[in-house]
Amino acid sequence: MSRSSKSGHRPGGVIGRLAALAALGFACAGCSPPDPGQAAAPADAAPSETAPPAAESAEPGLASLATGHFGPDLEVVEISHAFRPEPDPDRAGFFGYGATPTEDEIAGWDIDVRPDGQGLPPGSGSVEDGEMLYEAKCAECHGSFGEGQGRWPVLAGGQDSLTHDRPEKTVGSYWPYASTLWDYIHRAMPFYAPQSLADDEVYAIAAYILYLNDIVDDEFVLTRDNLATIEMPNAGGFFGPDPRPDVENPLCMENCKDPADIRITWDSSSLGVTPTEHFKEMDEAASAPAAGEGVVIAMSDVDPEAGARVYAQACQACHAAGLAGAPRADDDAEWGRRAEQGWPTLVGHALNGFQGDAGYMPAKGGQAQLDDRDVAAAVAHMLRSAGVELP
Amino acid sequence: MADPREDRVARLLGRVAQKAEGLSQPDRREFLRTGLAFAGSTALGSAALMRNALASAENLPPNVPPWTRSVGPGVVTHPYGAPSAFESGVVRRTVPWLTASAISSISFTPLQDLKGIITPSGLVFERYHGGVPSVNPDDHRLMIHGLVSRPLMLSMDQLMRFPSVSLIRFIECPANGGMEWRGAQMEALQFTHGMLSCCEWTGVPLSVLLEEAGVKPEGRWVLAEGADGSAMTRSIPMEKALDDTIVAYAQNGEMLRPEQGYPVRLLNPGWEGNTSVKWLRRLEVGDQPWHQREETSKYTDLMTDGTARQFTYVQETNSVITSPCPEKPLMGQGRYELEGLAWSGRGRIRRVDVSLDGGINWQEARLKGLVLPKALTRFSLPLDWNGTPALLQSRAVDETGYVQPTLTQLRGVRGTESIYHKNAIHTWRLAESGDVTNVQIE
Repeated sequence: MSRSSKSGHRPGGVIGRLAALAALGFACAGCSPPDPGQAAAPADAAPSETAPPAAESAEPGLASLATGHFGPDLEVVEISHAFRPEPDPDRAGFFGYGATPTEDEIAGWDIDVRPDGQGLPPGSGSVEDGEMLYEAKCAECHGSFGEGQGRWPVLAGGQDSLTHDRPEKTVGSYWPYASTLWDYIHRAMPFYAPQSLADDEVYAIAAYILYLNDIVDDEFVLTRDNLATIEMPNAGGFFGPDPRPDVENPLCMENCKDPADIRITWDSSSLGVTPTEHFKEMDEAASAPAAGEGVVIAMSDVDPEAGARVYAQACQACHAAGLAGAPRADDDAEWGRRAEQGWPTLVGHALNGFQGDAGYMPAKGGQAQLDDRDVAAAVAHMLRSAGVELP
Repeated sequence: MADPREDRVARLLGRVAQKAEGLSQPDRREFLRTGLAFAGSTALGSAALMRNALASAENLPPNVPPWTRSVGPGVVTHPYGAPSAFESGVVRRTVPWLTASAISSISFTPLQDLKGIITPSGLVFERYHGGVPSVNPDDHRLMIHGLVSRPLMLSMDQLMRFPSVSLIRFIECPANGGMEWRGAQMEALQFTHGMLSCCEWTGVPLSVLLEEAGVKPEGRWVLAEGADGSAMTRSIPMEKALDDTIVAYAQNGEMLRPEQGYPVRLLNPGWEGNTSVKWLRRLEVGDQPWHQREETSKYTDLMTDGTARQFTYVQETNSVITSPCPEKPLMGQGRYELEGLAWSGRGRIRRVDVSLDGGINWQEARLKGLVLPKALTRFSLPLDWNGTPALLQSRAVDETGYVQPTLTQLRGVRGTESIYHKNAIHTWRLAESGDVTNVQIE
């Protein structure tokens, strides 16, 4: 790569740079958005050859001006002391507000589990039981093999990938403690119905995820007594204390770089992966209503097969069991009540999400990638299952 | 007109006017209002230019506009006021592909539109792990237990009876800017730096509550837990808990917004935003950290050798130029006040330098307004621009002497896979047209 320091590149240079990036295969980076927290193309991609536009000529063209005062500069005084007696370890209860929680009250909320197993309730679960539970409650998002659907977290695989260019951080490849797996499933999973699993179900699902990562065998039964003894592959992979500040930038003021060395290595405008319609001119097509806003899909115009497929993929997790206030697919009374709102409202809620008294319907069941028409088809599928006719 | 931007604005507004033809009078009025709000929401040109182009000359001097020749709605028409309809473009935004679901996701503060250092409560970026819970404060309790001599369960009324403090502090997600470790890909300031906010927070020092509960000598850590559908947890070392952490129930003078943890949240000034656990229901004192999901699987920093840093709490010194920026390009040659924001999780901002040539030469900017520890600090540099392209950068220094690093320096130590804590000097390319683009340089 040559490094030009000429500053004569004007708007034509921008076009040239875009063309160069396209030629390098970057033009379609936006077709497949990168992972969160990761940029769209490889770090070792060749930089463009275009020189910075202003390396030499900025100073005469952009001059700072003198400033004056509107008033004196004041030293800010921030008083952040609360009314507080002298610190004294023996003065617990000085204010005397509040109640002492009972053991039952504490036990109902004290759900954290530590690596040494402290906090685990009695119980157990087998890999075998876990497989069925996982398939019913987890696979929809995390995939049958823990491979992750769409952008949902990958749970298995990735061993020995942490030093790779694209590391895959999974339970097996990254998580240091099995206790975290139990704790997190118990407190926050399944995603749309947190804290709905029985303790034995949590043991079983955790056992199955360990199995998916080849950490235990298919006969394994996870219990309160053996969880803390499980050695995770990356147990030694974390360190502290925080070593920062870990870089030192000298406070250089003049001639800090050779202008000839400055290269633009990345130009966000070549990617097109972020929303810009709020500040860039939109063309007519882009200013049409977004899908799901004011677009009515006729009930007669949906594909029954797509409805059944999308139901299984996105809706079943909640609508089969009635989780999170979702009307069960076979509940004719509940569906009848909702059907009175009319088809456009039902589809609107399914597409855009809805907060009702009974619970919360995430937009498209949380699967934004679904086609609007297929979501409408899934609504029709559930109405059919419940035997409900629209008014 | 020489400026192509003005042509663009004229075309846009022409379309708006065209569409308004044939509508009934009330519809037309509504349509034009919406169109104006839309136009005002763009950064194609200055607000003045928009209004000049859209408004009829009937409203301009020497004529007198209708709002001067009539009276408006009376008091408490809006018992809780909202921004002007003409500011409808000043909103939080998200980048949909970043996450699988909006329920566990993030939105960005519109830094490009904000003034001073306070983020209006309704514009503070959102980060949820299980959506926003709707918590009835009368049904909420804060429990303090574990290695304490007097476990406590407090209602909101009881909590708010304790002595309080008010602090102006920033909250920043450690993933702010984290999409750009490998390269520039966000096309707007809102997305490059918008996981950032600064509010006045009011609450009880955590030290007061821990003293009230009586921490046992072996108590070294505090687990904070939320009441939301993710029951979000983080382990906080006792040194921080007894230093400047507060249990906050108010924000910018009123009770917290639901999005910010109503009715009560933790606030760990200067630290990773997610340690400031929202909808706080429980504080447990223990003798070791709990290694929760959000401090092992997430919010840990993977290095190139495959090891990961854990408990990297501090948000190091950072800064960005907010005007101009991609959303706020320069509108032709002339005099401008370049402005930006700087902040440090270790204390006050001491100085900010600005470079116009990609870091070859630097000049000191002026700090502006309040300069508070662990708070956003505004800086300013008056400029005279003759249309020459430039590479704009800012570099903040905090009171510990730490100098904001370059991205090359950060990558040299950490590689490109650590996701969090990217506080590198940021580069905007200013083109001859006045347009501003997010770029990275070496």
